[in-house]
Amino acid sequence: MARAKLTTKTLAQRIDLDYFKHPHPFRRARSILSIAIPVIALLWLGWYALGRNNRVYSAGKMSSAHAVLTAKCSSCHVKEANSFSAKATDRSCDTCHSAPFHHANQTFTPICASCHLEHRGHLRLAVTADITCTQCHADLHTVGAPTQFTAEITRFNGGHPEFAILRNRGSDPGTIKLNHLVHLKHDLRGPNGPVQMDCEDCHRTVRPPAGWRFGSPQAQDATIAQTGIPPSLDTGRAYMSPVTYAKHCIACHGLQFDGRFQESAPHDTAEVIHAFLVQKFQRYIPNHPAELRVLAPHRNIPQKPIPPDVRVLTPQEWVDLRVAESEELLWRKTCAQCHALRFATNATLPTVVKSNIPQRWFQHAVFNHDAHKFQQCVECHVGAPKSKETSDVLLPGIQTCEKCHRGGREAAESRCFECHTYHDWKNEKPVKGTFTLSASAIGN
Amino acid sequence: MRIDRTHRTWLIASLIILSVASAIYLAYAQTSPSGPSGGSGIGLMFGVVGFLFMIFAGLLAARKKVPVWRLGRAQSWMRGHLWLGLLSLPIIFFHAGFRFGGLLTTVLMVLLIIVVASGIFGAVLQHYMPPVMTVRIPMETIFEQIDRVREQLVAEADAMVEEVCGPRNPPPPAPAGSKRGRAATMTTIATTTIPLCNFYNGEVRPFLQNESIQNPALAARAKAAAVFEGLRTLLPSDLHTIVHNLEELCEEERQFRRQIRYHHWLHGWLMLHVPLSLALLLLGCAHAIMALRY
Repeated sequence: MARAKLTTKTLAQRIDLDYFKHPHPFRRARSILSIAIPVIALLWLGWYALGRNNRVYSAGKMSSAHAVLTAKCSSCHVKEANSFSAKATDRSCDTCHSAPFHHANQTFTPICASCHLEHRGHLRLAVTADITCTQCHADLHTVGAPTQFTAEITRFNGGHPEFAILRNRGSDPGTIKLNHLVHLKHDLRGPNGPVQMDCEDCHRTVRPPAGWRFGSPQAQDATIAQTGIPPSLDTGRAYMSPVTYAKHCIACHGLQFDGRFQESAPHDTAEVIHAFLVQKFQRYIPNHPAELRVLAPHRNIPQKPIPPDVRVLTPQEWVDLRVAESEELLWRKTCAQCHALRFATNATLPTVVKSNIPQRWFQHAVFNHDAHKFQQCVECHVGAPKSKETSDVLLPGIQTCEKCHRGGREAAESRCFECHTYHDWKNEKPVKGTFTLSASAIGN
Repeated sequence: MRIDRTHRTWLIASLIILSVASAIYLAYAQTSPSGPSGGSGIGLMFGVVGFLFMIFAGLLAARKKVPVWRLGRAQSWMRGHLWLGLLSLPIIFFHAGFRFGGLLTTVLMVLLIIVVASGIFGAVLQHYMPPVMTVRIPMETIFEQIDRVREQLVAEADAMVEEVCGPRNPPPPAPAGSKRGRAATMTTIATTTIPLCNFYNGEVRPFLQNESIQNPALAARAKAAAVFEGLRTLLPSDLHTIVHNLEELCEEERQFRRQIRYHHWLHGWLMLHVPLSLALLLLGCAHAIMALRY
């Protein structure tokens, strides 16, 4: 028996014309899912709404510093009309932070949240985009007096001028006569024989603490009293401990003033030294009265010998004579080897010119030696080993920085915030805490 | 829907929109001090445009529900659905500054990516599979009617085979007097058709009746041809027509099975695409309301 031929008609006759009234399980499953999934989505939002939890609407993860406030939106998003405002106002930031403004003559002050971008994950809020700086500094205009700074800075690499002291061919303002070349030479005469000095013998950060090779055991380290440094920077690690006589010079550069004494003169003002000398000799002479007999200078006249002229001085005369001799040695040689002294016409004692050693060269930027400790000093301070004059500026130029801070993923950070800080921390004010531990743990 | 020359206008328009949006985004991202953000003016603009594209794409389902409304051709709606739906992804990325943000926005972005990816997958399938189906499934029928047609095929096969093998469910035994004659008749039929009856009841009928029965011998056309050829050698020539008919029915069943498989590919992605699209629009509304309100 042959099958009936399959025509369009016979094929159509197989079909139930009402088939569309009875949805196929496949289509039914799709319809059920199309209802169920949106309903689940609504229930999910409703669950948060019932718990009065707005975290679901958060714009992203909080920064590490603010992560503890994740559940407390109202810490920053101040409630207005019983609802959260989208923008965190500066007033909210000021509750916890004292962030002084930049310059009195800036044309506008951006809001905190425009530079410190929150809800971008576990980032450092201090890490700001260059454009937050260059929006003004690319074409700097000021209110009132014209700016003293470079008006067009677009970025560090290629868009930043040479450091001011180098750009203006300035000189080191220090007055201490220091010859780096001599101090770094081989077989330098040290306190106990020849030494080879190293940069770290004089230039080192306060932390980690360590004794000074050529310093007095009693010498105390002290961080530089700096202003304008962001609170986050540890100045004890960032900056070199100030060079002082007690820490760095005393072992080799003793202040001997007279062969009668092993003791050195104090490293102090001329007045203090003078008083010290007077006291020393006054205490000395009562125990050595024979020294009051003083021989006059020997006059050697041929064929006519003259007996020595012996004078006997009073103790005060002897002290005055010895003090004068010691001061002559100190003022003209020992002190003058390093210090500049001024001799006024009417004054009996000189004045020591202030040493004026710069503690921080970049007054408008911060530098962290600790972050660069893996480098050899002379890699950046190239001129130091050959420097003979105090006036030599041994600061590395911007090209040296750019060798590492050249931008890109495989280079050190080169954005503005790495060296510059927007806030003028000199004007920082104390902040009084307002939060409580229990409140911080409660949501919203 | 095939992506053919009729899409050229949409393609060009989409590329222009994407180019303009990219240019605006790049300029905005490079000049904005706080970086690209959905809350900024331009960010909001991208968000509104992207969401409108999504709403338009979602309206295709509504348009299908009321085909009689004069709201443009269905094909135009489908093209708009395809291209604007696709564009919504980069526009929303521009809106978000290529960040996923918080919990709700992350869910929205993931949903959008899944919806667009499944849509692209579906569009590719819809482009390539129909021609393949036309070639490989000439007996294609309405998917929802496959079970019904399959029942008809089984009934047709049963009728053919019962003619030579007797009824599959014989009537109750006859009275005692006629028992011998009856048995003699059945024996006569069985001796000539036993291979056919056994093969039908053991192999063909279960294969036609139940989609889940896997029969490697009948599932592949070449193997099935060999099996049926072997059967013919066991049967008298007057039964070869039935064998041929059964072979045709098995071929139809194979095509139905292929159609079901293709249908699942061709429409299975909609199980993901449609429900997630609705969830996306719903949550997108919540996000938009919260963002615009606060």
